[in-house]
Amino acid sequence: MEENNIEEDLEVRTWKKKLIWSWLITIPIIFLMYSEIIFGIHFLTSSVISLVILVLAFPVIFVLGFSTLKSGLKGFKTFYFNMDSLISLGTVVAYLTGIIQFFYPLQNYSGISAMVMAIFVTGKYIESKARGRAGQEIKKLLLLGAKDARVLRKGKEILIPISEVKVGEIIIVKPGEKVPTDGVVFKGESSVDESMVTGESLPIDKFKGANVIGATINQDGVLYVKSTKVGKDTFLAHIIDLVEEAQGTKVPIQKLADKITSIFVPSVLILSILTFIGWIIFGNLNSAIGSAIAVLVISCPCALGLATPIALTVGTGMGAKKGVLIRKGEAIQTMKDVKTIIFDKTGTITKGKPEVVDFYINVREKYFWNIAGSLEKNSEHPLSKAIVKKAGLKRFSEVKNFKILRGQGVYGKIDSKEILIGNTKLMEKEKINFNKFKEKVNEFEERGETVVFVSENKKVIGVIGIADKVKENSKEVVQKIINLDLQVVMITGDHDKTARAIASQVGITQVVSNVLPEEKAKKVEDFQKNGYVVFVGDGVNDAPALKQANVGIALGSGTDIAIEAGDIVLTKSSLTGVAQAINLSKKTFGKIKQNLFWAFAYNIVAIPLAVAGVLHPVIAEVAMALSSITVVTNANLLRRKKI
Amino acid sequence: MKKKILIEGMTCASCAMNVERSLKKVPGIKEVGVSVLTKKAIVESDKEISEDELKKAVSRAGYKAVSIN
Repeated sequence: MEENNIEEDLEVRTWKKKLIWSWLITIPIIFLMYSEIIFGIHFLTSSVISLVILVLAFPVIFVLGFSTLKSGLKGFKTFYFNMDSLISLGTVVAYLTGIIQFFYPLQNYSGISAMVMAIFVTGKYIESKARGRAGQEIKKLLLLGAKDARVLRKGKEILIPISEVKVGEIIIVKPGEKVPTDGVVFKGESSVDESMVTGESLPIDKFKGANVIGATINQDGVLYVKSTKVGKDTFLAHIIDLVEEAQGTKVPIQKLADKITSIFVPSVLILSILTFIGWIIFGNLNSAIGSAIAVLVISCPCALGLATPIALTVGTGMGAKKGVLIRKGEAIQTMKDVKTIIFDKTGTITKGKPEVVDFYINVREKYFWNIAGSLEKNSEHPLSKAIVKKAGLKRFSEVKNFKILRGQGVYGKIDSKEILIGNTKLMEKEKINFNKFKEKVNEFEERGETVVFVSENKKVIGVIGIADKVKENSKEVVQKIINLDLQVVMITGDHDKTARAIASQVGITQVVSNVLPEEKAKKVEDFQKNGYVVFVGDGVNDAPALKQANVGIALGSGTDIAIEAGDIVLTKSSLTGVAQAINLSKKTFGKIKQNLFWAFAYNIVAIPLAVAGVLHPVIAEVAMALSSITVVTNANLLRRKKI
Repeated sequence: MKKKILIEGMTCASCAMNVERSLKKVPGIKEVGVSVLTKKAIVESDKEISEDELKKAVSRAGYKAVSIN
């Protein structure tokens, strides 16, 4: 991948070299051509001047222009013409007039041919530089990866190149160093800045068992990381692949431009011949040659053909920097017609990790959490995990006869006391009275919490309210999207009461609840009757819904993400990315429209002028160079927009 | 099936269209995206297409496939 990067700089350097040489030779040619006008005198006789110009122009066309001629003339053999075919034919014909005019009275265009080539080379140089700028984000991503890694081999710390790191190796990451590759923290604690990969601005705390991403920067502690992925399989490599692939995808609006681009060069060749014939019939040979050359060199398929891809490149690059990965160009066009945006609840609007938010007990707190935490430690259920986390025990009491009661709770004996922890169903089944807690239970449920009872020897000693908390900025983002005049809907498998409680916290009024995961796609389809739909989900169990939607936005945090699931993928967990994705799509599409307008307008105006013989070939070439530079530069201006 | 072809010699947008046109003629290829910016072609096909066939298609249009993966 890095080869590619060096190669691009090489392209710019090559054009630069050619630019300098072509002007060094062409400037004297210009003086010779216009010496009479400039200095009022002829230094030499005109035939000597012609000869000198021919000699000087030769290296410009045939040496500096060699690669262009080679690429262009190939078209006449394969019938796959390109832009170089036009320039080659134009400059070679112009050069030949300089030879023919010794034998037949003809206007000498050989000096012009050198000027056209010099301008062409200049245009290419500027364009290749601007193109490099358009792809700068992806280049930065390529350079992001660490160069080497400090690994532990045979008990010794050694520094090795990143390419030699194997899966399963222990890597030591010191403060301030880059995490060399994807892995799991094996020992140590620290916080890691992941902003370069996920766009998440705050450092993330890492401790034993946490996933780390290659190319992120370790902040303050030493981390021992066991590598899980290396080379092409890493998260960063996937992101780069994805962005690169996206840049090759099509945006529907470019269809017409593509069609024209693919027949553009042969059409211009024919038009140039027709122009030549027309001028011979209705004018004279000299104007016929001049106009035919002007038509060849003014026509520029690049402006048309680059209008969309260059804007897409800038847009996707900008997105990648913020953790918004646009996978398909089509999505940015579809986005402008979206009417409804459907958010999945769990893991999208909420954190997807239940937490204890309320509790009400009639024993000592320490005693209560010791019992609850020790018993729940034996279960993997998300609600159990929430309780264990809240209890925060360093040492657990011994549990005997532990049993999981599916769909109800858990059972076990602690110090010969019978402990049951579970839902209402469990309490009812075990005939445990919880009348004293009824009021609290109602209160918790009103707030959208899941209620868990803890009983000791068949007597309730407390109730716990567990909720999947809303992400910090969900409300703000939902408000932003409502302001864009989009219908905002929340979809969830939860009961209506819980669902509405969460929805109202973030300002969503339309809720579709009690939906089984497999029904989500169907619900999306229903909404599609009113127009395009965006579905935002984590891509884990809502992949069909993401696919069914006109634009599927998949989000996750760091490496826990289903990259293939969405048209747009957000690598940070906050919803901010959704607003950014909508915004970026609209801005990029706007740029594409502008670019296409300019490209079409340019060709529609310029080509007829050249046919009419109004434009001198040199002016025509300048206009051509400017047209493609304009398109590329305009695309780069997208970067000034805030997303 | 997805393949990425790194191509040498594409200088402008019409070159990318040439490569695209030529690759589309290869039987079995469903979708082609060629970018003059990344110098890469990405082809999607139903069945396995030999590297040789892809290379030929690229050179038919007058360009060179440097690597395929």
